[in-house]
Amino acid sequence: MANLNLKSKEERTYEAIVVGSGISGSWAAKELCDLGVKTLMIERGRNVEHIKDYPTTNMLPYEFPHRNQITQEVRDANPIVSKCYAFNEDAAHFFVKDAEHPYVQEKPFDWIRGYQVGGKSLLWARQVQRWSQYDFDGPARDGFAVEWPISYDELAPWYSHVEKFAGVSGNKDGLANLPDGEFLPGYELNVVEKYFQGKLKEHYGNDRHMISSRCAHINGNAEYYAKQGRVMCQNRNLCQRGCPFGGYFSSNSSTIPWALKSGNLTLRPDAVVHSVIYDEQKGKATGVRIIDAHTKEMEEFYAPVLFINAAALNTNLILLNSTSNRFPNGLGNDNGLMGKYVAFHNYRARVSGEYEGHAEYTTSGGRPTSGYFPRFRNVEKQETDFLRGYAAGFSAGRGAKSDNSGIGADLKESLLNPDQYGPWRVGSHMMGETIPKESNYVALDANLRDPYGMPQLKINVDYDDNDVKMTKDYIEQMTEMFEKAGFTNIRAEDDNRTPGLDIHEMGGIRMGKDPKTSLLNANHQLHAVPNVYVTDGAAMTSTSTQNPSLTYMAFAARAAHHAVKESKK
Amino acid sequence: MNRRIALRHLALISGGLALIPSCDFSSEDILAAYEKLKITASQKSLLGDISNTIIPAGEIKGALDLEVPDFILVMINDCFTTENQILFTQGLAAFPAYVKNSAGSSFDKLETKKKEEVIQAGTKLESGETEEGMTNKAIAYFLNTAKRFTIQGYMASEYIQSEVIPYSLIPGEYNGAVLISDLQKPLI
Repeated sequence: MANLNLKSKEERTYEAIVVGSGISGSWAAKELCDLGVKTLMIERGRNVEHIKDYPTTNMLPYEFPHRNQITQEVRDANPIVSKCYAFNEDAAHFFVKDAEHPYVQEKPFDWIRGYQVGGKSLLWARQVQRWSQYDFDGPARDGFAVEWPISYDELAPWYSHVEKFAGVSGNKDGLANLPDGEFLPGYELNVVEKYFQGKLKEHYGNDRHMISSRCAHINGNAEYYAKQGRVMCQNRNLCQRGCPFGGYFSSNSSTIPWALKSGNLTLRPDAVVHSVIYDEQKGKATGVRIIDAHTKEMEEFYAPVLFINAAALNTNLILLNSTSNRFPNGLGNDNGLMGKYVAFHNYRARVSGEYEGHAEYTTSGGRPTSGYFPRFRNVEKQETDFLRGYAAGFSAGRGAKSDNSGIGADLKESLLNPDQYGPWRVGSHMMGETIPKESNYVALDANLRDPYGMPQLKINVDYDDNDVKMTKDYIEQMTEMFEKAGFTNIRAEDDNRTPGLDIHEMGGIRMGKDPKTSLLNANHQLHAVPNVYVTDGAAMTSTSTQNPSLTYMAFAARAAHHAVKESKK
Repeated sequence: MNRRIALRHLALISGGLALIPSCDFSSEDILAAYEKLKITASQKSLLGDISNTIIPAGEIKGALDLEVPDFILVMINDCFTTENQILFTQGLAAFPAYVKNSAGSSFDKLETKKKEEVIQAGTKLESGETEEGMTNKAIAYFLNTAKRFTIQGYMASEYIQSEVIPYSLIPGEYNGAVLISDLQKPLI
């Protein structure tokens, strides 16, 4: 590999480098740029410009040759990504195909990735619930992993900061285990969801709640978001194609154009980061080596502050690959724990059913969210035979269908005049906390390389007994709640899905108070190399149950401000 | 059909589209080749006859007018496993003999009513271990698949979704408690 450093060192020097342009990277870059820091943002994938690069966004159903179904040929070539619910004809171009970035599955793990400017922020499910102190207290109270070095109170102002800018719709629910935030008007639950809410109150008092899930969609304060070039969510539910309205938060619609407008951001797509450069004399990281995705040539970029936000497992990969005499096992990896204590969210089970009541009602229009159960198990104290608990999604729906049993003119008339309502369908899925363990790890393969010459990542992550017990409890409890609400034809399913398909992989470079047992300090700096920050999923000490992206945004904003304050000392 | 409603939908959709910064509506039905199926012209024509029996033309166009047989074959060629492609083509190949045996004539010579009966009966044929059972399995699979894709290809066609029941990219605000009795039911 040629070392192509034709440009002078000065031209390749910035005040900060952010690796990764997804949710956490773009937030770090946006904050740094707002604070006047000349920032280089490096992205391994191609550029995706807001609106211009959303080729399917306004396509009508009949314009998709296979009506949005993935062809067998693509499925056969991509057994991993084909399992993802959103990998369809309309959004396949935003997903990494299996052969593009191979990895070693020591145990089965579906690693779902989006390599482009904006990363997975184009594809995410946009659910944004805050953590509470109950969540941060988990490891210390229950004796697993290590104690979180930050508290809810420290993060709360940063949650507010990112919620305001990203746009979060929700209701003030007043729940201690799911703190309220800076909300735009929330979305309404439908008549059966409200009925279920009432039944929960009747049977469980104040112990269990089902609320309208907070989501990163603009549902108010249009004038404020116009400054970002974004308008109100149109309820299209075509988010995975990229939204021409900027109705939901993505890096592409929000933080990146904002940072570019400041004049402080330089965006470098098509650059696969190889490693962080460590200067032994200075005792600091001084920049990154990148591999040009097209020419495969290596180039170096320099800055006094580095943010590694490549998405959880790729951040592990980069730092493990950043070796030097001082750090032979990965940058800042003095304790040998880098890549270990990886965890995820347990999405294995769902419960569905029907409801014969409220038969006079249906729904109309669209909404970008549905119901959400904050965790109700083991919140105040340990009360079950498993640690921690689960959140759950919930929704009820009903629409007119046609009777397709006939043929000929009868069938045609039925198809064109759907009037069969049937009962309401209700459904729920679990989002369980998994316990980080040393035996759940990622590491570099000693021999295998990817098409860029990088070592392949070995992934060794699995469920444990706690997950099995928790899954069983979710099914029992949700079934019981469904029964109490008078739902019928209740069906539970544990699909035993492979970890990874939750797309909530976390950890490996965890935060903690003690450099002996953690990699990052309370400010997201590597203990041993404090000018390197990690604010994506890799930093997670434990997983709790909330969809994690909002927390990464808050981490990134908080750490960016810390970095700027430090640089002025 | 209630064209007033259709036109109102159309007006709504056009209004919505004006808001969208970039759009590309230049689209045509894409006809991929069916190289994996080895379908003859007469078999395709038979499939056309079947799909047009499932959804016939009238005041509103039928399956054949909308080139639904093409859609069916594209889907099976591109989206099916080899195993299911074989089952489908076996069923298609066995269908003429089945019609002869059960109705005493070739499919195209049958009255509409009889065609409908033959298809409906064929979708319910029971499979078995015998040669006849295997053939029945293929015929039932072929007919059920043809019916499913006829419905999908018809309902998700440009004609239906723009002229008959206009599809809206912008479905409007959510109402979670709509009284069914309040809904206008235009008979199409």
